[in-house]
Amino acid sequence: MSIIKQFSIPTLNDNPTDFDKLCELGDLVHAANSDVIFTFSDCQFLRPNAIAFLGGMARIVESKGRIVKFDFDTAPDKVLTILRQNGFANQFGHSVFSGPGRSVPYREDRIEPIRQANLKDEIIDYLTNEWLGHGWVHVSPRLRNAIVGVVWEIYDNAFEHANSEIGIYSCGQYFPRLRILQLAVADFGIGIPENVKRYLQEKVKRYLPLKLPSASCLQWAFQEGASTKTQGTRRGLGLNLLKDFVNLNHGTLEIYSQDGYALVKDNKERFHNRNSLLQGTIVNITIRCDESYYCFTDETSVGPLF
Amino acid sequence: MFKLKIAEIAGKNCVTSEGGQKVYDQIIPRLRSNENVNLDFDGVSVFASPFFNFAIGQLLKDYSPNKLNELLSIINLTSNGTSVLKRVIQNSREYYQDPRAKKAFDDTIEKEAEDK
Repeated sequence: MSIIKQFSIPTLNDNPTDFDKLCELGDLVHAANSDVIFTFSDCQFLRPNAIAFLGGMARIVESKGRIVKFDFDTAPDKVLTILRQNGFANQFGHSVFSGPGRSVPYREDRIEPIRQANLKDEIIDYLTNEWLGHGWVHVSPRLRNAIVGVVWEIYDNAFEHANSEIGIYSCGQYFPRLRILQLAVADFGIGIPENVKRYLQEKVKRYLPLKLPSASCLQWAFQEGASTKTQGTRRGLGLNLLKDFVNLNHGTLEIYSQDGYALVKDNKERFHNRNSLLQGTIVNITIRCDESYYCFTDETSVGPLF
Repeated sequence: MFKLKIAEIAGKNCVTSEGGQKVYDQIIPRLRSNENVNLDFDGVSVFASPFFNFAIGQLLKDYSPNKLNELLSIINLTSNGTSVLKRVIQNSREYYQDPRAKKAFDDTIEKEAEDK
């Protein structure tokens, strides 16, 4: 007879302490070598980062041949409404999908070569229609395309660098009273600090960069032109483009990767080492919905391009 | 002049390095033959840096800015596309064309590792 272990999902917002709770829950679930059932009795609220993370964690457990169930009957109405609206409940066996409401659908993406060509278009459509297309942010189609292109950089980083076999998990939410729109993208791959350390170790063979703190690794990754990929051509603009957009929009960009934390807010970048260890990376972007915060500079191709 | 419709090669979303590489592979033989190349972005709506890194930034490895200004022309690129492309060109040019910038960048990496 197989053992089923029960885990209670706490209320999970998106403060650093909430990420500690997520990591702790992840550790407990990974350590439990058994089938798993999650309950929601202690959960009053779930932000998109938590939902994306929970979905990925469940798939990791399933990939080990174990059964995962979410007991949606234990969820308070407010939590169940969100999980029904964003499709998470439906993905994990609940029969009711109630439509988007103020939620941006939960989605799972795996890199399968046969789907790769379509995958980018699917994600661009998701960002265009499901994230920005509900009229929560009033922007012109031209500006919407510009924002989508910048936010795509999060996915590109995850697909290119994370090597997350289990996939990439996204979820979002519109908060009308706060006038903010969030998107969380979680992967369960190698992590930015580990990628940077491996790159530096290869680059500077005589040193031991593995001792670099994760905060320093994240800071390094935020330098313009910094990339751990050296094949082909010069890269490393994605995080800078994201940062510039978030600063223009007075939004927030947070990256939790292993035990490193990066925060871009109020035109400042902060990098911290944390005590809890996340197996992978969660990127959380929060944008303001007021049109006055959107002022991309128009560029023309007058004059020599190079 | 060799005219290339980007949407036919990379689609309406020019965001991936794979799409950029396809474009580069079309451009590079023409440039090697000293032929003028015209890139037409009509029908492309979304742009991201990985695409331009591979399609165009990569050209600066082998060609000077002056030579590329002479041989390569671009039409129907949206203002946002132009903005991303200019950023990519600046980033690539500093790295490939200015050895001091490359050295400074590599030094930063080494110093970061050495300090710990």
